Amino acid sequence: MSDNIEEIQKSIKKYLIIGALLIVFTVITVWLSYVELPTHGLNILVGMIVATFKASLVALIFMHLNHEKSVIYKTLVFTVVLVFVLFVLFYFSKMDPLVFDGFYKLSE
Amino acid sequence: MDIPYTVHARPDTGLYNAKIGIWLFLASEVMLFGGLFSAYIFLRLGADYPWPVHDLDVTLGFWNTIVLIASSVTVVMAWASVKLRRYGQYKIYMAITVICAGVFMFNKSLEYKAKLKHYAVKLTDGTILTGHMPEDEHHNTIPYRIKFGEITELSLTIPVKKSAITADPVGYVIPHIEGEAPKFKTADGKEITLDDAAFAELSAAAVEKAWAEGKGSATVKLTAVTPLKAAAKPSEIFGYTADSITFRDGTTAKGKLLDDKMTLLVDGIDARGVAQPDKSLAFDHRYLGAWQPAFVANREHHIAEFEENYPTRDKEKSATLQKESLFYKIHSSTPPAADAAHGGDKHGAEAHAPAEGGHGGGHDYPTVVIDKKDITFFSNFTPKLNTYYAIYFTLTGLHGLHVVAGALVLLYFLVFNGRMLREDPEHLANRIEVGGLFWHFVDLVWIFLFPLLYLL
Repeated sequence: MSDNIEEIQKSIKKYLIIGALLIVFTVITVWLSYVELPTHGLNILVGMIVATFKASLVALIFMHLNHEKSVIYKTLVFTVVLVFVLFVLFYFSKMDPLVFDGFYKLSE
Repeated sequence: MDIPYTVHARPDTGLYNAKIGIWLFLASEVMLFGGLFSAYIFLRLGADYPWPVHDLDVTLGFWNTIVLIASSVTVVMAWASVKLRRYGQYKIYMAITVICAGVFMFNKSLEYKAKLKHYAVKLTDGTILTGHMPEDEHHNTIPYRIKFGEITELSLTIPVKKSAITADPVGYVIPHIEGEAPKFKTADGKEITLDDAAFAELSAAAVEKAWAEGKGSATVKLTAVTPLKAAAKPSEIFGYTADSITFRDGTTAKGKLLDDKMTLLVDGIDARGVAQPDKSLAFDHRYLGAWQPAFVANREHHIAEFEENYPTRDKEKSATLQKESLFYKIHSSTPPAADAAHGGDKHGAEAHAPAEGGHGGGHDYPTVVIDKKDITFFSNFTPKLNTYYAIYFTLTGLHGLHVVAGALVLLYFLVFNGRMLREDPEHLANRIEVGGLFWHFVDLVWIFLFPLLYLL
């Protein structure tokens, strides 16, 4: 934690720059969403990459995750893994026995 | 007992306790929102309708994003100000943060209000008309009602044994009948007003009689002293025919159907679900036939534009083109001439035009009276309309609750922790850091919500 006065004074400038960056990237996100990429899936991908970048700026700088004690990272590892599982959960919905190839094997 | 390690770090973790606490809480919050984002993925993959893109008010959402980012900056500045012992600055920054939260919630309320007043009516051929219900002179919405008149007889069925459906005219019939305390005549000629006491007496006598006769249920017939009128939402009744209406308690009234047509001020024709959009039911001569040339011209304009800009792409696969060409927005009550259908390139402005907002804002929409038999479904823009609005209200509602909670905590620090600020600023700085961490998390969630719900 930046506890001495000089470091905090320096980081004030940093906070303002990050705030401005976040606004710039918000404008970029809105603009990109009106650009017709070859598929809409690509629009979603690009939009999510920009959003993830913005989110990491908030997490790293505003939430001080760029210099935090190890116990916090250890806690967050579990969250990250479990959230990742939640986000790929939809993949298993494709394993519907009605459409899953291996389920109804016609006997030859 | 004092809470330990509020200011100084606990030797084994190297952190003051509250910080561990808030991070554990935030970890659980990530899981909470993670689950809902996962639900969003499932609902979007499973949607059997064109997923709404740019349908919400993008401008309002954009400004709300800016407001939240600004408040994230000010809360971290408030923390830095306490650390630097600049107390005046701290108060200003904290106040701005709380005001930002207020502005955010105010904008959200505008957005929600616009949704509640905006309706989508799905016609039998799959066309969706969007628009508003007519308003009275006080700008109150006149809701859609099935209207009955000349009601002369009520027929109530009361089962002898308790049952799920039993006549309850006081709860389900009387509220829909016009006029105060309508009077009825019973079979034995007594004149009664239908209230709890009178009905209890009536049903007790009827059940006793039915029991004695060995019947399963009693039927009570009531004759109206003067012919009555009734009006009810379609969801408030079981059904109706031209000469009878059945209320939700099973009570049937004999009368005459006066009106079951829906009046809608149409602001959009969404023909994406129709096989032949030109021949959509919306362009029936009773409805918006006069708009058909403009619709066709608009579609051809967008298709030509698309072919020019992206000659190699498949027109059928562009969701944007589908929307631009088949979801026709109406801005005036008079149909435009076919050749002037696309005056200039309204691309950007049109794309930005909020589908829900801008209600009544100088717009004048064509009034369409839709036959009940042409309607398969109608709803305002609430969770029942489709899965998109379900997840939209769930996610933004939960996020809004977080904004309110976070703002209350920060406001508490500002108002009630003045003494701590003077006497133990390090402790307050830690509190603000913890409150600020929550506040940044709220901002972080919105960073994903804004593109997912408004833009993509």
